[in-house]
Amino acid sequence: MSEIFSTAPAIVLFPLASFLIILAFGKWMPLRGALAGIVATGFSLAVSIWVALQMALNGVGPYQETLYEFIAGLEGEGVTLTFGVLFDPLSVLMLIIVSLIAFLVHVFSLGYMNDEGETGLPRYYASLSLFTFSMLAFVVADNLLMAFVFFELVGLCSYLLIGFWFRRDGPPSAAKKAFLVTRFGDYFFLVGVVAVFAVFGTTAYAGENSFINQAADMVGDGTEYTFLNLSSQQVIDITALLILGGAIGKSAQFPLHTWLPDAMEGPTPVSALIHAATMVAAGVYLVARMYGFYALSPNVLAILALLGGFTALFAATMALVKQELKQVLAYSTISQYGYMMLALGGGGYVAAVFHLTTHAIFKALLFLGAGAVIIAMHHEENMWEMGGLKDKMRVTYLTFLAGSLALAGLFPFAGFWSKDEALFETLEHALGGADVLFVAYGFGLLAVIITAFYTFRMVFLTFHGEPRTDHAEEPHSIGWNMKLPLVVLGIGSVVAGVLNMGVIKEFIGEDNLFLKEWLDGATIGEEYGTEAFALSYSHYGEQLSEYAGYEAATLSPLGPGAIALVLAVVGLGAAWYLYRAPEPAPHMTKLGGVRTVLMNNYYQDEAQVWFATGFTLPIARGANTFDQGIIDGLVDGAGGVSMYAGERFRKIQTGIVSNYAALLTLGLLLLLVWLGIDGGWWF
Amino acid sequence: MLIELLLAVTLASAFVVFLAPDRYAAKLATTLSVLPVIGTAIMWFSFDASGNALRDGSTIAFETQQEWFELGQYTLQWHVGVDGVSFPLLALTTVLTTLAMISSWTPIKERQSQFYGFMLLMETALIGVFVALDFFVWFVFWEFVLIPMYFLIARWGGPRRKYAAIKFLIYTNVGSLVMFIGIFLMVLNLDGLTVLSLPAITEAVLAAETLGEISLLGIAAFDVKAAAFLLLFLGFAVKVPIVPFHTWLPDAHVEAPTPVSVMLAGVLLKMGTYALLRFNFTMLPDIAVEYALIIAVVGVISIIYGALLAMAQRDLKRIVAYSSISSMGYVIVGLVAFTPHGMGGATFQMVSHGLISGLMFMTVGVIYNATHTRMVGDMSGLFDKMPYTVAIFIAGAFGYMGLPLMSGFAAEVLIFIGAFESAVITAAPLITAMAMFGIVLVAGYLLWAMQRTLYGEYELETGYDIGRAPVHDIAPLLALIGLVILLGVNPDLIYQVIQDAVSPLVDEGLAATTVAVDVFGGVLR
Repeated sequence: MSEIFSTAPAIVLFPLASFLIILAFGKWMPLRGALAGIVATGFSLAVSIWVALQMALNGVGPYQETLYEFIAGLEGEGVTLTFGVLFDPLSVLMLIIVSLIAFLVHVFSLGYMNDEGETGLPRYYASLSLFTFSMLAFVVADNLLMAFVFFELVGLCSYLLIGFWFRRDGPPSAAKKAFLVTRFGDYFFLVGVVAVFAVFGTTAYAGENSFINQAADMVGDGTEYTFLNLSSQQVIDITALLILGGAIGKSAQFPLHTWLPDAMEGPTPVSALIHAATMVAAGVYLVARMYGFYALSPNVLAILALLGGFTALFAATMALVKQELKQVLAYSTISQYGYMMLALGGGGYVAAVFHLTTHAIFKALLFLGAGAVIIAMHHEENMWEMGGLKDKMRVTYLTFLAGSLALAGLFPFAGFWSKDEALFETLEHALGGADVLFVAYGFGLLAVIITAFYTFRMVFLTFHGEPRTDHAEEPHSIGWNMKLPLVVLGIGSVVAGVLNMGVIKEFIGEDNLFLKEWLDGATIGEEYGTEAFALSYSHYGEQLSEYAGYEAATLSPLGPGAIALVLAVVGLGAAWYLYRAPEPAPHMTKLGGVRTVLMNNYYQDEAQVWFATGFTLPIARGANTFDQGIIDGLVDGAGGVSMYAGERFRKIQTGIVSNYAALLTLGLLLLLVWLGIDGGWWF
Repeated sequence: MLIELLLAVTLASAFVVFLAPDRYAAKLATTLSVLPVIGTAIMWFSFDASGNALRDGSTIAFETQQEWFELGQYTLQWHVGVDGVSFPLLALTTVLTTLAMISSWTPIKERQSQFYGFMLLMETALIGVFVALDFFVWFVFWEFVLIPMYFLIARWGGPRRKYAAIKFLIYTNVGSLVMFIGIFLMVLNLDGLTVLSLPAITEAVLAAETLGEISLLGIAAFDVKAAAFLLLFLGFAVKVPIVPFHTWLPDAHVEAPTPVSVMLAGVLLKMGTYALLRFNFTMLPDIAVEYALIIAVVGVISIIYGALLAMAQRDLKRIVAYSSISSMGYVIVGLVAFTPHGMGGATFQMVSHGLISGLMFMTVGVIYNATHTRMVGDMSGLFDKMPYTVAIFIAGAFGYMGLPLMSGFAAEVLIFIGAFESAVITAAPLITAMAMFGIVLVAGYLLWAMQRTLYGEYELETGYDIGRAPVHDIAPLLALIGLVILLGVNPDLIYQVIQDAVSPLVDEGLAATTVAVDVFGGVLR
């Protein structure tokens, strides 16, 4: 069975190969490197699916192997840093998502980039391949250090791709901001990784000696740490929060979300791949990957749930007033990742992974749909300049609609099932005694209405009503290479819910919740869920109840499901009521001052810019003045004193013989006196 | 004999180049400088050292030990050899010299034979510093480095070259004087010490700790050692440089021509940290352990303060120069941790920073050759005009920021792990976390500078017509990028020998720990 897994690392290596090839020969390659990227991601996708099938049907896996000793060091002299692979239901699912979206985005790019005659395409495709490689490597990483390595590399690729149109002013600035803000989060992540090394001596996710297992053994064992007298529970809490810092940065959670809307300066296929479906998912994936660790600390789970719920609501409010298509989608992305964090904090591991999956599909679809609209509109992004596109762009409209219905959470589209499950799991554990989850659940519910509203505001403004500009009258046609990915993802948005129809589990039976069974390792080897691979859904469930005190209340999922659906319909209905007119009025302006605050994103960007240029930079300038004036002044001053002293002492050397003779005589006299007293000549 | 041959060939090359006519000097010197690279390559493959050269039970590679002459009670020796600490630095020196010479072809147009002669002379002295195992020999080479460096800055430098060169010379020389006093304070009263070879001094000083032999004018042995440690530390601090003894560095860098900056940042600074490792942390570990917290804080100040200074600069070269101060701060934090990864990582960082800062200075130099300005506000959109140079600039900058799979990341993460679990630094996790904030600051100022110079609409204040850089300007940059990635992907290439050489020091430091705090783990598992 391990033969499959000895070839499976190829999933990661195909895009690496295409990156190197495009880097070296991109200029002379067919389609400027696109072909190599398509072939590589296609192979990755095929092998991922094959591995998944083997796991589902033939029961192979789970599998972990150390492939490369990054820093072996000497025996017994400090920790060993390794790279390895971990193939389990979670990572294989994510591999499929990443390689599928990457493949479709490559195809879409043919239309969005090649057909539009962009220059610098080898750079574009090389970066895409490097991104795909890094992201896949992050997903299969079997330890936290390797995860950090590729977490940072995807950040580099994001920087390169956001700044792709470097001649303009916006993209380089957005790229800088994206890297810097996520770097700030990664700083905490790296401190966390180092802390895990220091406390546990390993960062492996799996294996009997994994840091997660060690941590579980450590909780409440009464160890007092000499460092600040921390208890073992506190050490685990702090470490979990530090690592969460990285997740907050990459998954664009409050307060480090500000980079994501700016990142829309990048080409739209990049937004779909990196800033919607995959890289932004890295933070959520990271928490899910080491969920056994988070399950040990109820405090961190509560923070996670509140943070996620708050972000879901907070970002959704900003999406209400945006005028650019991609901006609405960007804030919606932040909001949706908030739901996933909420689910993780609320004890809904399956729900979070499920929502991650469906969101990847429908949000990639919406971004690609937006890309198609932008091409059709000759690079116009403002929705108020559009209108009436539904008849002229049939495929785009229908698929975009499917994605929107999924995003809004309408039955039976994919987002309905997954968002509902996220909310339901939170409610279940809130009723079970974790009271703080009620607040998070409330945030989440409120965000449902807003989500449905802004989503359909977007749909109505873009596709319905009368065309409001010449471009909207005569949209540019789009090719098959853009339609194909839309159709594939559109179908996905409609049907992906069948993976886990938790809302109606009372009718279809628990056993038919496919994703839940999959994540529990029901189809694979017995060792999944034991000490060696303590990564299964039911193992997390035990940990949640043992350490976090999460108990699920007995509750039918139908009621809460109906509530969420009704709220979504209310939101949709409101949007329909306000924006269905052929010439819709800008209703949001009635909000007045609130709108101004929302348009300015609660002045968060200003606050961060102030922190960089109004706070840090003056300190730096002050330090520089101090350095030049005082420190270097002292150095030059010391030189000056010597020069001055030298100048003065030089005066002794007058060159007048009589002066020297007088000094000589004086010296001789003093010598005689001293010798006389000390040597006893006179006394 | 390989080491003697290396020194002789390099020195002979220097004289040949001095005598060669200007128009052949560049190519001739570059060709001759390949010989030491070949020499180190041969050494690489037959390298058989184990342990730390200064400690008992080690095998020193390519060792020669020969009595030379008597000086008072001491017998001076010709004692050279390399171990896992010095060899990577030796290799760095020879490789970087050759690459720096290639990068000189464009900017150096005057008195070429003298320029390249001085470069080779400096290389000879640098090799000497890293191979010397006798104090006297080491000190001669150590001081000799300054002479060619002085001339290289003062003759081929920018407008304020005289000031910068004399400041460099006097400052580092005063540092040497302080250090020299420190050495003699340490060895003066050691009975039975008749040779001044570094291993002998080390053994005598370490043994003296228990015998109480060091005492001067009735001062307790420990205080004398502490005073010696302080003097040595101050002396080397100028060279590293450690804040607040750093102000000669930006002046020297800004005035020095590109290849000289490369050597200055790439190798000369490492003399300081190398000497700290060899003297302070090898010979006086008990003092280092006692004052570990203070030393670590000094390192943290260098990191943060250096980064803040870099942020305030407008001159690209000054930015890189100040960031060197920041990077060398990591070395201090790593060394004082007395953990395998701390000390090993610090040594790895010496090599890594040598490559990356060399790369950055060279790239800035290539841009300057074309634009005749280094000011951030004077240019924008260079990516359009010099795509390859700018791509390399971006890669180098990310290397500087510690991007994984480039050597800087390996070095920094090792230092962080090592420092975090240090048993000798009080509140090590907190100190380490503060040091680590440097990785955010470095990203801040480099990305900001890149945004303003490399991207946007093409503009150039100086009005020069710029095109792509010549191949011989790009080639050394590519070579350095290659090395940075190679060491980043496979750090063990040099890290294993480094760790082998520092582990006896770690043991000694921990053995000296009487005041130590417990490991972070609280319970040792």
